[in-house]
Amino acid sequence: MGNEIFVKPASTTSAAAGASIRISRLEKRFGPVFAVDGVNLDIAAGEFIALLGPSGSGKTTILMSVAGFEFPTSGTIQVDSEDLTYVPSNRRNLGMVFQNYTLFPHMTILDNVAFPLKMRGLPKAERHARAEAALATVRLGGYGSRRPNELSGGQQQRVALARAIVYQPRVLLMDEPLSALDKNLREDMQLEIKRLHAELGITVIFVTHDQSEALTMADRIAVLKDGKIQQIGPARELYERPANLFTAGFVGEMNFVDVTVESVGDLVSVRLPWGETWQLPPTAAVDAATVGEAAVMAVRPERLRLGTGAAGQVVKVTLSDIVYAGAAMLLIGRLPDGTELRARIPGASQLDALAPGDVATFTVPGEAILLYRGTRR
Amino acid sequence: MTKAVRSRFWHSDGRRLSGLSTLLLLLPFFAVIAFVFIYPIAQLLVISFIEPHPTLDNYARVIDNPVHARVLMRTLWTAALVTALSVVLGFPVAYYMSRARGALAAFVAVCVILPLWSSVLVRTAAWSFLFQRNGLINSALMALGLTSEPFKLLYTQSAVVIAMTHVLLPFMILPIYGALRSIPNDYARAAAVLGASRLRTFLEVILPLSLPGVVSGSLLVFLTALGFFITPALLGSPQEMMISTLVSKQIREVLDWPFAAALVGVLTAFVTLLAIVFSKTLRFDRLMGGAS
Repeated sequence: MGNEIFVKPASTTSAAAGASIRISRLEKRFGPVFAVDGVNLDIAAGEFIALLGPSGSGKTTILMSVAGFEFPTSGTIQVDSEDLTYVPSNRRNLGMVFQNYTLFPHMTILDNVAFPLKMRGLPKAERHARAEAALATVRLGGYGSRRPNELSGGQQQRVALARAIVYQPRVLLMDEPLSALDKNLREDMQLEIKRLHAELGITVIFVTHDQSEALTMADRIAVLKDGKIQQIGPARELYERPANLFTAGFVGEMNFVDVTVESVGDLVSVRLPWGETWQLPPTAAVDAATVGEAAVMAVRPERLRLGTGAAGQVVKVTLSDIVYAGAAMLLIGRLPDGTELRARIPGASQLDALAPGDVATFTVPGEAILLYRGTRR
Repeated sequence: MTKAVRSRFWHSDGRRLSGLSTLLLLLPFFAVIAFVFIYPIAQLLVISFIEPHPTLDNYARVIDNPVHARVLMRTLWTAALVTALSVVLGFPVAYYMSRARGALAAFVAVCVILPLWSSVLVRTAAWSFLFQRNGLINSALMALGLTSEPFKLLYTQSAVVIAMTHVLLPFMILPIYGALRSIPNDYARAAAVLGASRLRTFLEVILPLSLPGVVSGSLLVFLTALGFFITPALLGSPQEMMISTLVSKQIREVLDWPFAAALVGVLTAFVTLLAIVFSKTLRFDRLMGGAS
């Protein structure tokens, strides 16, 4: 089955460009439940995209539909403008790495990596040579004659990676590939995958529920909830300016305070639960603010400043916990109305004087505040 | 080496059992086995060598007499045939059971397991009704006009093979089912996304990983078939005896215990050899190792 990909040299440095992917109005229903509810997603060739969401958000179903393990109820999936929606998995020519490595236990490492080449009818000598080369790119050269159970989890996942790229697919799908690994190994593998992505120029769809993993690895992140995309954008945009309350709460740590909008003008003025009124810059309003409506004010814990030195709004917080957390101290306390507030303050020395029960003063810089319509209660 | 004997068994609270408690727990089982199995077999084997006087004559008779040698060969052949048929018939059922969900799957499982709860005698008797000259099979064939004369089905080796396959089929299906069930779904998915068609996924991944089940099912069926008594005795032809019928004849009719013992000795030696060969050549631990 003439596959032009094999004409290309086995060398992985001659970046075989990735494919573009277009997911249109994708819908997957299981009985009355929408696992995926009208998802549109355009992925550029060579892009690294992460699907991030809690379990049941539909991120895995989207990946399974792209892989061909699930056929959507409606909608289309195109790879390089070719409609693959109902093409069986084995004719999609995609690479995939699973959470549990899925190396075939009855085959050697080399045979595992050579498996996709065998399925494509390559002669033995060539597929072994290319499998060796792929093993070398994941720095496991010389491990070919071993069995999967003789390798550590991290090594097994690197073999799975080699197996997924050895036939130079233009798209690589990864289904929580690092969640079975311990923390240090996970960070190594994140870099390894990033390096491979840069080297191969392959398009990557990476499913994860770990937001820091998504933030570190992906060019763009699609945040999902209840089968719908909540927000899609680069890590920085997602973190600095979450588009809605769900993303604000799901990506990174966030403090929320319920407020009421009092007036909208050059400044937005909001009434806080303990009676104060704050003037916020109009850029704070992510959703258009309406006078008299409930809104939620959101601030990242690391944007709070201890004391009154900086410009911004001042709050008094009764501290309940002071936690040493390495790079920064975590201060947990209550606002005057009882709402919990968390602050992460770098540099421990200035905090030595503080103890639980103390009232600390924090400054909230105006540009750190985001305002959403709705309520947390 | 530590001097405390540490067993590989655990209390329910997580502590290791001491060597002594392990021994005490296993003792009743081994006592029964020793008393009702090892002792009689050993006794029989001893008889085969020392009666009527210390000799190997009893064994020579098994091999020298062409009738006896043929009985032995027929027994091996029948057991092999039954095993092969069970694999061919049982694998698809086991495969279906391992994939399917819902009412039909439950129904199939019941169909497989239910016969195990009825006696072999009952099932064999049922077959003898079907195989009779004017039984269901012959009347159906004649009604369809496929034959004008009834076939001789009862008291043939074919009847024995068919009925034994039926009786032993669950012992093939269940181990294969177990092996197939333990293969994670993602393996088939991984094979598919790597480019394998359904057939190749089956041949390259599913079948090799289910082999331990096929092998243990085959051992179970083959070894049981070797010693099968009721079915060959009821459905088989007296001219085409199997070894268990011959042994029974020697004990009950000819009263030649030493020779019967020698027949049992040959069978036991054969079974033991087979078990050793299988466990040495097929390293199940290695085959399945790494399946997480």
